[in-house]
Amino acid sequence: MSAPLIWIFTPMIIGGLSFLFFRERTVAAIGGTTSLILAGIALIIPIDEALKIGPISLKIASSAILFGRSLVLTPANAPLLVLVFGMSALWFFGTEAAGVARQLVPYGLIVTALLVASIAVQPFLFAALLIEMAVLVSVPLLSPPDQKPGRGLIRYLIYQTLAMPFILFAGWQLAGVEASPGDLALTVQSTALLGLGFVFLLAIFPLYSWIPQLMEESSPYVVGFLLWILPTIAAIFGMGFLDRYAWLRNSPSLMSGVQVIGLVMLVTGGLWAAFQRDVGRLMAYNTVSETGFILLAIGLTASAGTDLVFLFLIPRGLGLAIWALSLSILKTDDGTHHFKSMQGLARTYPIASGGLTLAALSTTGLPLLAGFPPRLALWEGLAHEDLTMAIWFLVGLLGLLTGAVRMMAVLVTEKEETPWNSKETWVQRAMLGLGMIGLFVLGIFPQVLRPLLDKLPLMFQHLGR
Amino acid sequence: MLILITILLLFAAALTLVILRLTRPEFRFTWVIAVAATFLAWITVLLWQTQIPLSFTLLPWQPANLFSTSPSFSADGLSWPYAVSLVTLALAILLTASAREGFSSSFAWAGSITLCGLGLLAVTAANPLTLAMVWAALDLTELIVMLRTVNEREAGERVVAAFSTRAIGIILLILANVVSSASGKTTEFTSIPPQAGLLLLVAAGLRVGVLPLHLPYSSETSLRRGLGTALRLVTASSSLVLLARIPTASLASPLTPFLLVFACIAALYGGWMWMRAPDELTGRPYWLIGLGALAVASALRGDQSGATAWGVALVLAGGALFLTSVQQIWLNRALLIGAWALSTLPFSLTAVGWQTDVSGLTIFLPLLLAAQALIIAGFIRHALRPSTRASLESQPAWARSVYPFGIILMLLVQLILGFWGWDGAMQTGAWIAGLIASLLTLGLLWATPRLPALNPVRAHWVQPTTASRLDRLYQNLWAVYIWFARISQTISTTLEGEGGIMWALLFLILFVSLIVQRKP
Repeated sequence: MSAPLIWIFTPMIIGGLSFLFFRERTVAAIGGTTSLILAGIALIIPIDEALKIGPISLKIASSAILFGRSLVLTPANAPLLVLVFGMSALWFFGTEAAGVARQLVPYGLIVTALLVASIAVQPFLFAALLIEMAVLVSVPLLSPPDQKPGRGLIRYLIYQTLAMPFILFAGWQLAGVEASPGDLALTVQSTALLGLGFVFLLAIFPLYSWIPQLMEESSPYVVGFLLWILPTIAAIFGMGFLDRYAWLRNSPSLMSGVQVIGLVMLVTGGLWAAFQRDVGRLMAYNTVSETGFILLAIGLTASAGTDLVFLFLIPRGLGLAIWALSLSILKTDDGTHHFKSMQGLARTYPIASGGLTLAALSTTGLPLLAGFPPRLALWEGLAHEDLTMAIWFLVGLLGLLTGAVRMMAVLVTEKEETPWNSKETWVQRAMLGLGMIGLFVLGIFPQVLRPLLDKLPLMFQHLGR
Repeated sequence: MLILITILLLFAAALTLVILRLTRPEFRFTWVIAVAATFLAWITVLLWQTQIPLSFTLLPWQPANLFSTSPSFSADGLSWPYAVSLVTLALAILLTASAREGFSSSFAWAGSITLCGLGLLAVTAANPLTLAMVWAALDLTELIVMLRTVNEREAGERVVAAFSTRAIGIILLILANVVSSASGKTTEFTSIPPQAGLLLLVAAGLRVGVLPLHLPYSSETSLRRGLGTALRLVTASSSLVLLARIPTASLASPLTPFLLVFACIAALYGGWMWMRAPDELTGRPYWLIGLGALAVASALRGDQSGATAWGVALVLAGGALFLTSVQQIWLNRALLIGAWALSTLPFSLTAVGWQTDVSGLTIFLPLLLAAQALIIAGFIRHALRPSTRASLESQPAWARSVYPFGIILMLLVQLILGFWGWDGAMQTGAWIAGLIASLLTLGLLWATPRLPALNPVRAHWVQPTTASRLDRLYQNLWAVYIWFARISQTISTTLEGEGGIMWALLFLILFVSLIVQRKP
C-alpha cells in the first residue's frame, strides 16, 4: 500500500462513485466520513514506517509511479494531509446543511485529490498541471450543465489557466538559473515569469475581479470551498519554490515584494469590502484580504518562520466554511444576497445571521475569535519590520470592520415588527453551532493547534529555518 | 487563584440560573441561589485584600516565537476597588430586583451577573491582550442582550453603531499593543511607550463615550433598571480601568493639552446635560460622559489613583441612584452619600480626584471643578426629586426588608472605600478644590429654581435637540462614505465589465512597475 494510493487515488475513486448516490445526506456522509478517515490515517499511521498491530505489520510506502512521474508523500507531508482532509471533512459534512452535497462532494473529493497530488508530484513543476486539472474539474461544479456559464466563471478559468504556462516557463528557466547562477538576466526573467504565474494563480490585485462575480453567479458554499482550498494549496506550492531555490528565499527584494503585494491585497480587499451592498461580494473581498494575510505571513518567513503562515490556515478555513454555510442557509425572497433583500433576516435566521457576523468579525480580527491570534502575531511581526506597513494593515482591518458592521446593521434592521423565530433546521443549527464554538476555541486557546503547527513546517527543508 | 474563584462563582451562578430556567421554570429558589452565590463572590473579593497583589495566567499561547504575551489577570491596589464595586453592583441588582416589575426574570439576573463577571475579568486584566479579549466578550454579550431587548425599528442600527465604536476602541488597544511591541518593549501595561499611551487613552475614551461625544441609545429607558444599569456601568468601568493602567510617563506628549481640552468640554457637556436631564435614566449616558471625562482628565494629569476614584464613583454612586426604583424618603436622603463620594473632600471616595498633577496643566482645573459641581448638583437633584415611583410601603413584606439592603450596600461600600482598601483611601487630597466644587454645587442648587436655564429639560425635548446636531454630522460622514462608495463602484464596474481583462492587465503592469521602482 502506498501513500499516494490512499490520499490521492482513494478520494478520487470515492468521489467518482459518489455520483451514483442521490440522497443529499448519504452523499454528505460519504464525503465527510471519507475525508475524516483519511485525516485520521494521516494522523495515526506513520508513512514509510512499519506499524505492528498484533501479528499484522502495516507499512505505507511513500511513493508511487504514474506515467513515469513519481508521486511522493513523505512523513513530513502527513500533517498537511491531516489539515487538508480534516478541513475537507468539515466542508463535506456541511454540504447537507447547505443543500449542495450532490453537487460539491463528488467534484470536491476529486479536486482535493488532484491538489494533494500537486503537492506530491515530482518533478514538482508538474504541480502546475495538476492544479490546472483541479480548476477544470471545478468548472462543472460551479456551473451545472443546464446553466449558462457566467462571466465570473469564464474569467476564473482564463486567469487560472494563464497561470500554468507562466509557472512552467519559469520552472524551465529556473533549471537554467541553477546551472548558471551568475546569469542575472535569466534570473530576472525567471523570477518575473514565476511572479506572474502566481499573480494569476492566487488572484492577486487586480486579477481578482472573478471572485465577487463568481460569488454572485454560483452557490456560495461551493465557491467558498474553492476559495479555501485553491489559495491554500497554491500558497504551499509557492512556498515550495522558496524552499527549493536559495536565491529566491534569500532575496530581500522578493520577500519585500511579496509583503507589498500582500498589503495591497489586504487594503484593497478591506476597502472594497467596506463599500459592498451584497453579502456574497462582501465574503469575496474578505477572502481577497485573507490571501493578503497569507502573503504577508510568507513575506515574514525570514523572521517568523513558516509557523505564522500555517497559523492562518485553519482559522481561515473554519471562518470561510461558517460564512459560506450561513449564506447558503439565509433564504431571501428574490434569491439574491443583496443588502435590501437581507434586511431584518436576523429575526428569522438568528443562528445563520450569528454565523455570518462571527465569521466576518473573525476575518476582521476581533479578539476572542479564531482570526485574532494569527492577525495579532502578523501585525506585531510587521510592526517590528516597518511601522508604516503596520499602519496600512490597520487600514485594511478597518475596511473589513466597516463591511462587517454594515452587514450586521442590515441583518438586524427589521422592515416590520417580526418576532424572533429560528427557521434553520436542526442540522443547520448543529453545524453552525459547532463551527461558532470552534471559532471561539481557536480564538481563546490558539495553542490547541500546536501539535499540528509544530510538524507542518517540517515539510520544508530550508524555508523559515 | 482567588480571582478565579470569584469569577467562577459568578459564572457558575449565571449558568445555574439559565439551566434552572430552561429545565425547571417553576423552581422557587432561583433568586436565593443567585443572591447566595453573588454574596459568596462578594466575600471572596474582600478576601483578595489578604493576598494583594495576586495574579494568575491562563494556558500560555503557543508557539512562543509568535506570541509575546498570553492572557493573564492580576489584582492590585487600583483594580481592587473596581472589583469590589462591580461585585457589589451585581449583589445590589439582585437585592433591589425584589421591588422591580417582572421580578422573576432569571435570564435578566443571569445577564447582569455574567456582565459583572466579565467586568471583573476586565478590571483584573494584566495586559492589553487580555483586556482586548474581555472587551470583545463584553461587547458581544451587550450586542446580543440589546438586540434581544430592543424592539424599535431603528434601535438595531443604533446597537450596531455602538458596537462598532467600541470595536474601534478594541482595535486601538491592540494597535497600542503592536506599537509597544514594535518599540522593543514587553507588551505589558507597565512598559507602554508614550505614543501607545495616548492610543490607550483614546481607546478608553471611545468606549466610555467621552471621545467623541456620541449619541446614546434613545431606547435605553425601555430596558429594565437592573440589566440596563449593569450594561452601562460595567462597560464604562471596564474601559475606565485602563486609565489606571497607563503609566504617567506614557502620557507625556505634545497632544496631552489638546486631549485635556476635549476632556474638559466633554465633562462640562456631560455635567450640564446630566443636571438638566428630566430623570436619572434619561440622563444616564451623560452621567457616564461626565464622570468618564473627569477620569480621563485625571489620567491626563498623571493621576492614576484619581482616575480610579472617578471610575469607582461612577459605578457605586451611579449604581445606587439608577437602581432606586421605589420611593422611600430616608433611602432617598441616604443617597446623598453619593454626593459626598463625588465631592473630593478629605476621606471621601474621590479625595484623590485632584490630588496629583504632574502635567503642569492646572489652567484646566477650574473647568473641571465646574463640571464636577454640575455632576454633583445633578446627582442631588435626581436623588431628591419628587417622583411618581411606587412607594416602598406598597411592596410585599419581604421586598420591603430586602430592597433597602441593596441600596445601602452600595452606599456603605462608597463610605468604606474612602477609608480602607486601596491606594486612594484615607487621603485628605486637594481639599481646597473639593471645597470649591462643593460651594459651586450649593450655588447651583440655590440657582436652579431661580434661573430657567438651569431647569430640567422636558423629556421629549432631549433627544430631538441632540439628535438634530449629531444627525447633521452623521449625514456629512455618510455623504463622504457614499462618495468613496461611488469611486469603488466605478473601479469594480470597470474591472468586472466587458473590457475588464484588458483593464486588469493594464493595472497589473502599472502595479508591477510601481513595485519595481520602489525596490530597484
